[in-house]
Amino acid sequence: MLGQQFINGVMLGSVYAMVAVALTLSIGVLNFLNFSIPGLFMIAGMATWALIHAGVAWPLAILGALAITAAVSLVVERFTWRWLRGAEPFVPLVSSMAFLLLFEHLAIAWWGSEMRVLPSLFAGTDWRVAGFVIGVPQLVGLAVSIASIFGLSLLLKRTSMGRSLRTIAEDSDTALLLGVDVNRLVPVVFALAGLFAALAGVLFALNYRQVQPFMGEAVGLKGISAMIVGGMGSTWGAIAGGLVIGITEVLSVGYVGANFVDIAVFGLLLLILFVRPTGLFAGLPAGRGGI
Amino acid sequence: MLLEARDLEVRYGSVRAVRGLSLQLAPGEIVAVLGANGAGKSSLLRALLGLTRAHAGKVAFDGNDVTRWSTSARVRAGLVLVPEGRRIVMGLTVQENLLMGAGQRRDSSAVQTEIEQVYQRFPNLAARRHASASVLSGGEQQMLAIGRALLAAPKLMMLDEPSLGLSPRLANEVLAHVRDLNRERGLTILLVEQNTQRALEIAHRAYLLELGQVLRQGPAAEFAADHSLLDAYLGRGQAAQRPTPAQLTT
Repeated sequence: MLGQQFINGVMLGSVYAMVAVALTLSIGVLNFLNFSIPGLFMIAGMATWALIHAGVAWPLAILGALAITAAVSLVVERFTWRWLRGAEPFVPLVSSMAFLLLFEHLAIAWWGSEMRVLPSLFAGTDWRVAGFVIGVPQLVGLAVSIASIFGLSLLLKRTSMGRSLRTIAEDSDTALLLGVDVNRLVPVVFALAGLFAALAGVLFALNYRQVQPFMGEAVGLKGISAMIVGGMGSTWGAIAGGLVIGITEVLSVGYVGANFVDIAVFGLLLLILFVRPTGLFAGLPAGRGGI
Repeated sequence: MLLEARDLEVRYGSVRAVRGLSLQLAPGEIVAVLGANGAGKSSLLRALLGLTRAHAGKVAFDGNDVTRWSTSARVRAGLVLVPEGRRIVMGLTVQENLLMGAGQRRDSSAVQTEIEQVYQRFPNLAARRHASASVLSGGEQQMLAIGRALLAAPKLMMLDEPSLGLSPRLANEVLAHVRDLNRERGLTILLVEQNTQRALEIAHRAYLLELGQVLRQGPAAEFAADHSLLDAYLGRGQAAQRPTPAQLTT
C-alpha cells in the first residue's frame, strides 16, 4: 500500500516538478514570475483531450498539444515581455496573470466549463511488478519528465546557447556587452518554459484522464510552491520540491483523508521554509543546480 | 581609419554625457582616453559599442557605418569591450567565460587553438580552467576579461579602466599585456585608464575629455611631458603625487 502510494506520489510530483521547472526557467533567466504557465498547462491538457476527441491519433494529439502550447507561449512573450520592456517589473507579472484568466475563459467559451474525460488509451496494459501496479502512461510519463529535465540541464551546461542563458540569468547587461543577442534568446526561454508546462499538461491529461479549464490553478499554485521550496531559480530544487509535494499529497490522501490534503501539503511547505527559508537547493552555482 | 566617431552625442535624460565628440583610431594604434570622473569616457565606450544609443553623430568601424548596428553585430565585426569592473560571469567556469567571448563565432577549431593561446599567455588561468570563475583574484579576473575579449577575434579592443582596483604591480602587468598584444599582433587598442601616467607610457596618442568634449588630442609623449595640463584636468594627485612609475614588466 505504502509503496503503491509512493509510486503514485512520484508520478503526481513529476507533473508539479515540470510546472516548477517551467516557472524556474522564466524566473531564473528572466527574473519573471510567469503566471501564464498554469494556463499553458491547462491549454496542453485541454488540447490533448480536444484533439483525441476529434479523432486524431493519440501520438499526433500529443505532438499537436505540445506545438500549440509552445506557440501560445510565444504569443505571451510578445505581449508580456517584448511590449512591456522597460516597464516596472510587476507589470509583466500582472499581464501574465491576465493571460491565465484569458486562457481559462477562452477555454470555457470554446469547450465549456464541465470536466472532460479522456478515453482510456492504455487499458489493460498496466504492469504488475511485485504487487505494485504501474500504469504505462505513468511509466512513460516519468521517463519523459526525467529525460526532458536531463535534456534541459545538458542544454544549459554544454551548449553555447546554454552558456548564454546562464550569462543572461546572472547579468543580462554583461550578456549584452559580450554580444549575446538577448532579444533572440528570450523567445527561446518562453518556448522552453511553454514546452515544460505543456509536457506536464499532457502527462496530467493522459494519467488522470480528466481535464477542465481551471485545472491549471491548483497545479500552478503547487508548482510555484515547489519552486520556492526547492530554492528559487534552481532546476534540481524545482524537481525536489515537486516530488516532495506530490508524494505528501498522495500519502496524505491515503493516511489522513482527502479533506486534509492541502493542510498536510502546505503545512509541510511552511515547515520546510521555517527551517530553511531559502529553500532546499538555494545558492547552488548555475549549471550545478542553478537555473 | 579603423574606427571613426563623428559628432557623437549621448544623453541621459537632460544630461549630455557626450557632446559632439569626434575620435579616430588608425589600425595598430594604442589610443588613450583620459579625463576626470564624469568626463564621458564610459559613455563614449558604451555608445561606440551600441550599448547606449547615440542621439546624434556617426560611428564607422572597419569600413562600415555601424551607427544603427546592434551591439551583437558590432561584436561580430570585431569591436570588443573589456568592461569596467571586468564583468566576469561567476556562475561559469574560467573556460566557459572564454567561450562566452567566442559565442558569436562559428569556427570552433580556431576557437580551441585560441583558448590554448590565451592559457599560454595567462598561465594562472590555465591552472583553473575548469574551476568556477569566482575563485579568481582581481588580477586573474582582469586577465580572464582580456582573454575573453581576445576570443571574440577583435580588430579593436576597448578597455575600460583595466587597472582599477589592482595593486600597482598587477596594474603594470595588465598594461604590459595590453602593450604586448598591440606589439605582437598589431591589435588596435582604445584604452580608458585613470592611471594616466602608465596609460601614456604605452599609448601612441591620447585624447583628453572634459564634460563630454575633446579638450585636447595629440601624441602621448606630449601629454606626458605637459604636467600642468594633466594636473589641471585630472586633479593634482594623478600626476604629481604618484611615485616614479615602476618600469613596465616585459
